[in-house]
Amino acid sequence: MVSSETQVVCACFASRLAVSYLFPSLQQQLDRTVEFSTPVTSYRSLQEGAYLLLHNLPVYDGGVVHQVPLLVALMALFKPVEFLMPVLFAAMDSLVAFQLMRIAKLYQRQLKIPSYIPGIVYAANPLVLLSCVSQSTCLFVNLSISTSLLYALQGHFSLAAQCIAVAGYLSPYAYLLLIPLVGICGTTSAGVILLLKSTVVSFVLQLVSFSMNNYNWNYMTSTYWILITFSKMRPNLGLWWYFFIEMFEFFIPFFKSVFNIFVISFILPFSIRFNQQPFYAFVLCLGWITLTKSYPTLGDGGFFLSFVPFFKPVFGYLRYPVISSLLLIHAIVLSPIFYYLWIGLGSGNSNFFYAISLVYGLAISSVIVDLTWAMLRIEYDSGKPNLSLKLTQI
Amino acid sequence: MKLHSWISVLLLVYKVTAELEADVFPVDNEVDSIQQEVIQETRKNGTDESSSVPPSSELLSLEDPVQYNFQENLNLTPLPNNFLLASFQFYMQSETFGVNRNEHESNVYSHHTVFPKPVGPIMSQTNTRQLHLRFTHGLWDSQEWGQLPHSGLKSGGNGVELWAVIEGPSKEKAMQSWITLANSLSGLFCASINFIDSSKTTFPVSSFLPTEDDAIPLFNENSSLYLIRAALANEPICTENLTPFVKLLPTRGKSGISSLLDGHKIFDSNWHSLSIDVNTICEDNTGECHYSMEEFVETVVNVPNSLARADRPIPKPLGGDELRCDTNKPHDAFQCFPLPGSREVDFNISKLFGKKICGSSLLGKTSSKICAHVPSNWNVMVQVGDLLFTTDDNCFNVNSNEPHDVHFETSDSGNVLISKETPLHVSRALTGYGQDRGGLRSVFRNPSNQPVELVYFESLPWFMRVYLSSLALESDDSDLTLDSVVKSTFYSPARDRERPTHLERKLVIPPNSTLALSFQFDKSLLKYAEYPPDANHGFEIEAAVATITSPERYEARSSSLLLYLSTPDFSMPYNVIILTSTVMGLAFGTLFNLISKQLLTLEEADRILASTSPKAKLLRLKGKIIGLLKRNNTKPAKIAKSE
Repeated sequence: MVSSETQVVCACFASRLAVSYLFPSLQQQLDRTVEFSTPVTSYRSLQEGAYLLLHNLPVYDGGVVHQVPLLVALMALFKPVEFLMPVLFAAMDSLVAFQLMRIAKLYQRQLKIPSYIPGIVYAANPLVLLSCVSQSTCLFVNLSISTSLLYALQGHFSLAAQCIAVAGYLSPYAYLLLIPLVGICGTTSAGVILLLKSTVVSFVLQLVSFSMNNYNWNYMTSTYWILITFSKMRPNLGLWWYFFIEMFEFFIPFFKSVFNIFVISFILPFSIRFNQQPFYAFVLCLGWITLTKSYPTLGDGGFFLSFVPFFKPVFGYLRYPVISSLLLIHAIVLSPIFYYLWIGLGSGNSNFFYAISLVYGLAISSVIVDLTWAMLRIEYDSGKPNLSLKLTQI
Repeated sequence: MKLHSWISVLLLVYKVTAELEADVFPVDNEVDSIQQEVIQETRKNGTDESSSVPPSSELLSLEDPVQYNFQENLNLTPLPNNFLLASFQFYMQSETFGVNRNEHESNVYSHHTVFPKPVGPIMSQTNTRQLHLRFTHGLWDSQEWGQLPHSGLKSGGNGVELWAVIEGPSKEKAMQSWITLANSLSGLFCASINFIDSSKTTFPVSSFLPTEDDAIPLFNENSSLYLIRAALANEPICTENLTPFVKLLPTRGKSGISSLLDGHKIFDSNWHSLSIDVNTICEDNTGECHYSMEEFVETVVNVPNSLARADRPIPKPLGGDELRCDTNKPHDAFQCFPLPGSREVDFNISKLFGKKICGSSLLGKTSSKICAHVPSNWNVMVQVGDLLFTTDDNCFNVNSNEPHDVHFETSDSGNVLISKETPLHVSRALTGYGQDRGGLRSVFRNPSNQPVELVYFESLPWFMRVYLSSLALESDDSDLTLDSVVKSTFYSPARDRERPTHLERKLVIPPNSTLALSFQFDKSLLKYAEYPPDANHGFEIEAAVATITSPERYEARSSSLLLYLSTPDFSMPYNVIILTSTVMGLAFGTLFNLISKQLLTLEEADRILASTSPKAKLLRLKGKIIGLLKRNNTKPAKIAKSE
């Protein structure tokens, strides 16, 4: 008898592989949508990087490559067997599903749900599935984050530090998750080890990249600085793009700093406020980054939403789950349509898609707000739900 | 005078082995001989040239007392389908100057004679050693008309094209000089050349290399030469550009063949090109230098159309009796099928250009020359006053000050001199739909029996994000691979708002074949203020340049393209600021409240509110005041309160 977890992992792997190989053109089509690919995560830009690397052309001197050197090198390595790429991505996605189930196992007593439920939710989440099929490199980041979280919860802080350093190397926003991770560590010494180890690993990764990029730091500008300056204007589901297209030149530096501060603003408050439930603080921080980062994809959103089943004990406290889910469905269904109206047909204008990106932002923020409220509620009730009690805040 | 050592930095593809006579300019035969004369003359005279008096043998006449290094030619070539190519060519040279100008500036009297006064200072201030400027517009039908005049070396892509060899201690300094040069030329030619900035400028690697056999002089041994190029495809070429062109000529369009240059006629054509090339030429041993300048104006006019417009400036339908009807087909007094165009042609160029040639240039060393390149069935006559002359080679010298006119007549205008076939046909098109991405497809057709080697130069604006990995080859010949066509690639990727994509590929096109190279690109969104006022018109993409190196030297250009970018809503700035900020504020504010406020039951909250609400505060204040008043009245009250 195969355990249900193995079945879920196999199903996850098979579904992704099946979609990739049954619809071979789907990968390219998804990679061109603004919902699943951004300049910093698109598979095309990775291919371009590998091409330039293999032809001895400048990879990071401007251009379209915004992926870190190690990823580009990996892609160049895989170039002769590119048809196996879907297998790699499907395997990574299944690994994430597997890790989610392991986390659920750790919390089985509190959760009171079978541990395979988060796995099923992840495997069946269309956002995650399509993101995996599009071969967006945000999957690498998600895998590193979930691995790091699993190791931290299991008490392997050194491994957790290494994984979060890898995630941070791929996408610097993951470094922000170090703060809730330190909360998970619990003890000061473990926290110090985590911080030190991740710093060392990050340095090593940067040095390796530096040497791989012909002893040139110019990849920093194309891969990290672009996240802060938002220099590649391309529509996405985030809050940044239309704001900086329409903003008056004079105010752009000011608002760029505001938006960057906005990203980090709630990391520390969440970690401090929920220091008794550091895992949940971690998830809320993840959600906040998904909402505020400069180049979000639906892959990020799907990854965040995959953690919602872990909030099972507080589901009763949610105030507007219906509104949140409707907002989310509304955004996801209408965004490709409105984008096509604007870009493809020309019968709608940019405001249509902009409105949808706002709705998506509202959806994610309402999920975060609702979960935060529920967390506060259950904290007030000291873990014993008393749903009839009416509470307020002053 | 110091002896300068010359460093030849930009070496040429082929080495000069021939004698002096062999180093000719790549123009057609007629011009070659004249050019040689000028050059030989120059070399003979050497530095004595500043005396500006011709060698003794010629008679000095009062009407023509001094003669300068100025030469002008007019070449008239009928093309198939009743087109006529008129090519005005002007050559001039500056006086010599010493290289180390600081030494000389104060005590040497400088005279610019026939060389245009504004050009010299621009060249010297920006350390420009070679300057090439092209204003071209229209379509050259290479299928019908064959090769471009001067093998395409004297015409640019649609719009303005500028490239220069600039001396500078560093690339940055050279770039500064380049910007200065662009701004100066912008003022000089009334064109928007000042829009050239780093985001449009490239440093070509194997295209646009200087063609002259001599090395470009380097005035300072510590600096080096930089070849810099930019093009503006959206620049309309118009009369305000021609007027400064004519002003650069010593004759100012008042005499000589330049008197034909009238903007209304030159630009009323299917294709026209204005070009300027300035070279710095130095003597190896003396260190004396001079500028030599070539100014070409070329235009292709449709003869019947131009004649009709001269007859009827305001277009009106022809009268019934003037219609040339095909009587074999049904017809009546009002409508009929037209006869095929007449092959009989009989016209004067004064009718095409609106006026006659006002005599000779008066100051050239050699007389102005008019040549017609026609087969034997054409009769070409020059008309001086009332007299008509013919010559064997259809070339005429304009010596007198009488008005001159050229008369063409033939019974079969379809019979023209066969032009050499273009070694390669290049065309380029945008593919795909949608405003967020697209493709660029270049088609190369080699009609000849030998392989064609070329350098294909493309400079694309930064808002086209090129995916070089998507480069694909389409060809009927399945054996052909990308590697066998593309021999080498130079790629400098675009940097946003800083520099364009610069692609130079060495290609070999096999004989008698057609192939297409294509790649994909993403279109970027621009910032709201970066769109031009007519944002939905699209953005012109400059022509690609194919420099053919073998079997013959030739430059072909593709047409320019129009790229549509998606646009934001230009009326939205305030709305976007408000709406985005609202969403951000909503998320931030709610979370901030949740995290920072205390959680209470409703009853507790009511109780606390009751004691902290403004009303309660007012009541307490009132109580305090009353208490104070009472304390003033009675002491026991105070004691009671203190307790």
